[in-house]
Amino acid sequence: MTLYVLRRAGLLVVSLFAASVLIFLVLRLLPGDVAQTIGGIKATPTQVAAVRHDLGLDRPLTAQYGSWIGGVVTGDFGRSVLDGTSVSGQLAEKFAVTGPLAVGAVLLALGFAVPLGVLAAVRRDSRLGGAVNALGQLGIALPTLWVGLLLVVVFAVQVRWLPAQGFPVDGWDEPGRALRSLVLPWLTLALSEGAVLLRFVRSAVLDVLHQDWLRTARAKGHTRTSALLRHGLRNAAVPVVSVLGLQIAALVAGAVVVEQVFVLPGVGQMLITDVGNRDLDKVQGEILLLTGAVLVIGFVVDLVHRLIDPKLRSAV
Amino acid sequence: MRRSTALRLAATAVLAGLAATACGTGSADDPANAGQTNQAAEPVDVDTGATVDVRLVLEPTSLDIATTAGAALDQILLDNIYQGLLTRDENNKVKPSLATSYDESSDGLTYTFRLAENATFHDGAKVTAADAVWSLKQVTAKGSKNPDAAALASVKSVSATDDHTVVVKLKHRDTGLTWGLTGRAGIVFKKGTDFSTLVGKENGTGPFKLSGWKRGSSITFVRNDAYWGEKAKVAKVVFQYIKDDNAANNAQQTGQTDIETAVDATLLQPFSDRRKYTVLRGDTTDKFTLALNNAAGPTKDLRVRRAIRQAIDKPGLIKTLGGAAVQVGGPVPATDPGYEGLTSIDAYDPENAKELLRQAGYGDGLKLTVKIPNIYPAEIGDYLASQLKQVGIELTVRQVEFQTWLDAVYTKHDYQLSLVDHAEARDLSNFANPDYYFGYDNANVQKWYAAAQTASGDSERDALLKKAARQVSEDAAADWLFVNQTLTVVRSGVTGVPRNFTSNRYDLANLAVAKK
Amino acid sequence: MSVPSSRVLRALLKSRSGFAGSVLVGVLVLSALVSLVWTPYDPTLARPQDSWLLPLSGGHVLGTDRLGRDELSQLLTGARSTLRTALLAAAIAAVVGLALALAAVLVPRWIGAAVVQFTDVLIAFPVLLIAMILTAVYGGSTWTAVTAIGVGAGVNVARVARAEAGRVLGTDYVLAAHAAGSGTWRTVRRHVLPNIAPTLIVQLSLVLSVAVLAEAALSYLGFGTPPPAVSWGRMLHEQQSYITARPLLVIWPGLAVVCSVLGFNLLGDGLREAADARLRVRELQEVPGA
Repeated sequence: MTLYVLRRAGLLVVSLFAASVLIFLVLRLLPGDVAQTIGGIKATPTQVAAVRHDLGLDRPLTAQYGSWIGGVVTGDFGRSVLDGTSVSGQLAEKFAVTGPLAVGAVLLALGFAVPLGVLAAVRRDSRLGGAVNALGQLGIALPTLWVGLLLVVVFAVQVRWLPAQGFPVDGWDEPGRALRSLVLPWLTLALSEGAVLLRFVRSAVLDVLHQDWLRTARAKGHTRTSALLRHGLRNAAVPVVSVLGLQIAALVAGAVVVEQVFVLPGVGQMLITDVGNRDLDKVQGEILLLTGAVLVIGFVVDLVHRLIDPKLRSAV
Repeated sequence: MRRSTALRLAATAVLAGLAATACGTGSADDPANAGQTNQAAEPVDVDTGATVDVRLVLEPTSLDIATTAGAALDQILLDNIYQGLLTRDENNKVKPSLATSYDESSDGLTYTFRLAENATFHDGAKVTAADAVWSLKQVTAKGSKNPDAAALASVKSVSATDDHTVVVKLKHRDTGLTWGLTGRAGIVFKKGTDFSTLVGKENGTGPFKLSGWKRGSSITFVRNDAYWGEKAKVAKVVFQYIKDDNAANNAQQTGQTDIETAVDATLLQPFSDRRKYTVLRGDTTDKFTLALNNAAGPTKDLRVRRAIRQAIDKPGLIKTLGGAAVQVGGPVPATDPGYEGLTSIDAYDPENAKELLRQAGYGDGLKLTVKIPNIYPAEIGDYLASQLKQVGIELTVRQVEFQTWLDAVYTKHDYQLSLVDHAEARDLSNFANPDYYFGYDNANVQKWYAAAQTASGDSERDALLKKAARQVSEDAAADWLFVNQTLTVVRSGVTGVPRNFTSNRYDLANLAVAKK
Repeated sequence: MSVPSSRVLRALLKSRSGFAGSVLVGVLVLSALVSLVWTPYDPTLARPQDSWLLPLSGGHVLGTDRLGRDELSQLLTGARSTLRTALLAAAIAAVVGLALALAAVLVPRWIGAAVVQFTDVLIAFPVLLIAMILTAVYGGSTWTAVTAIGVGAGVNVARVARAEAGRVLGTDYVLAAHAAGSGTWRTVRRHVLPNIAPTLIVQLSLVLSVAVLAEAALSYLGFGTPPPAVSWGRMLHEQQSYITARPLLVIWPGLAVVCSVLGFNLLGDGLREAADARLRVRELQEVPGA
């Protein structure tokens, strides 16, 4: 196990390096640059060229990459060329919105997806199971942004229970208002994420129900429920954990849309703005940190995977 | 029966959704007449401790107003934080600011500015003529990175004759100098300021001070209690940056904002209660300009450019967008010098447009592409495509990021048609510059425009500008779809709200809130 | 995976979700086909005087939008973009996913590990961001969206398929078959592919629906299918600002998206059930001969 962890950690470092190169190069494909943002449509080409030189944007790519990655290794993820703010500081500030949004949505999603998924699988041939399954299907089919828009219309514009969009200017210094403005985004995100999870939980539990050893366990005198609880869920958890790991990357994308619909000043909005301004020094730091986070989560998921799957522990 | 459970559930949920939302469908008032131009007088009992939340659209990319371009910086920083020697009133006329008065010599070559004697920077230092001279010299210096440097191109020398007098000498007469000084080029910074430190801070002279900037969300100003002139009437102003019109409406309806600028004219229905809201209608210099590449491609042919202009029904477009816009017909809006009504030139005439295209050799159809930055309503592109299809032009609409537009269209001139809001006032010069992305090169226009700059008086200048503008329109150098009007919704009890040119500058000096 | 035989098809239509899915997808395909030859109005024709007509007025069954374009005509024509995006994205995802998954489990371990890592790096990239960057560089087009969605979904398919393939390769009967001298490709064909097929089908049906949703999201953010092509996501994008004034106009394209996604998902479920049934039959047949 130790050897596996070490090797897996080594791979993690290599992937982080590969990700940094990929991010750096892909961003350099974008037309335009931050010098043009600074110059706008009134500056002369000579002025723009002078700004470009001052910012070091005319240096060779290798030199630019080198100075960036050198900073990253020492924990400095870079600064915005435009307003001088640090990447880590800005990400931390925006995560105060996106973090609670994503974590809350996942917890909410798990909260209803796991019990409903198991129910839908165990009672698959009953009316109830069919209904839960149908609800899950419907949930998956709803476009996140559309759900968000409809929720806004119903709860904020028609009945006015909750704020429509936006986040309090003073952020979490006004916890009540901050929480209230996250209710609809949570519901929106949890609905789409939860519906996907529900489907996988159901399908995983169904798989387990078909396994021979479960039949054996029942033959040994366990009831179906106790056999499932004793052996089944642990096995069903393997693909579910795997999917949950995937969902975290999807969650980041979902958050971008939800932040847009609810006008939340989170990571997604910041990325869109920074890409638009071609503030690449900032964007590459942000994406590297985000990608890094997903890679680390993938690493952890893999370890958990091995711990709960007896077959994988011995194989490979 | 059981087969359809999923479908029935789906249908039920859908119907529930319909029922819940359908009650929002109401007939909107005719928006074409919405908005008023006068507002209530300042209340007797002013709440000097009030905070006002204002919805704005575009957030600045940086606060370094000396080097970073963008109307979003001018909008909030000019007049409120930084002041120039001169500024503009609410009708875009030049008026004094840090210079309390100024004289122009009879030959028009020497301007003398007298600075307010008690003015101070936010760090407490006195404003002196030395600061003003240093600031102006930063703009005129060789290699200046000020995007407005061209505004002071005629300046020969700047000097201080005493602590509060600044003398500007010109190479030649310049009818645009005082206007130029109302913008960024005229800002007085403290002598020796390192502009790169201004990206997130300020040291201005205005009635407000910067208190905080939550990037992606809001900028907060507080009253400068040590201000040298008449102090602001509110304690705090929070600019909330909300791009989405619907979100902005929600914020105004729920009281998160007190003032909503740039309201969509088709969405005024929630604000019809006059006791709760005032809707202000104001002028802008936002010219939505359909650039037609004069230097390359099919649009190099005058007949094709004229056909395109005649194929687009502008009143129809204005109606579609809610009516808060006016037709213009030429490059000069009604609030700028040199305006005259030019809408009869190449008026809507699809049949004649077809004929012109046939003469130009495109009787069998023509394929064109328009590049539009994605910050403008997508419907404008759809409308253009639909209109041009009627005369046999197949228009592909490419929505691009603004940066991509800057790179491809503005810098590399790689385009056939392009749509951009040219928001700057008095920017006829773009048509007198053959290197500009329009690619429009007419020696007469260039001559007249140059003569207008050095004219001896406003009437002589205006006559020359009119001549140039008419020629530009007759050459179909571009098409001008409309000049925007801007609507502002104000919560009752708030007065002194800027009405005109709100996206160029947002002067908070008169803003006041009644005590509850 | 082989073409569904008539038995599978019958099983598919017999299953509740398979039937419902076939109907919904059938409606989608039919709309797209009909729009090729007929729509009530020209879907892109702007008529300012007909702006925002209510349903069933002025000869417009579902009303008109702000530009006076007929909603029903746009919905019908929009089915084409949806179908095209979904199918192309799923095809790309299937190829990318299967290739990466098999590469990871079959080749020498160190290459396999590298492939796994590469897949994980790609998974860690937000698809939406890749799509945004691609559109910024190459302009918004169906192909940009399809490539981004297909590759983005493909790496996810790869990860799940890899886990499944790994599980299958570790099972006793495969180990036994291997010990008995069964070749790698034979093992893949006879054991791995049939066994991961159900998971793969579920995954690809998800990709179809994810592609429809992603296209809607991309268009909503302004990075999707450009005009004059009609797309439901773009309709949502254009209407969403007026949702308080004209909620119905946001309902129609939204419903169309929901029905298509639902259709693909239900069809996937039905296929899975049908394939499961076939699989069980085959396993039973193979036991005596093994």
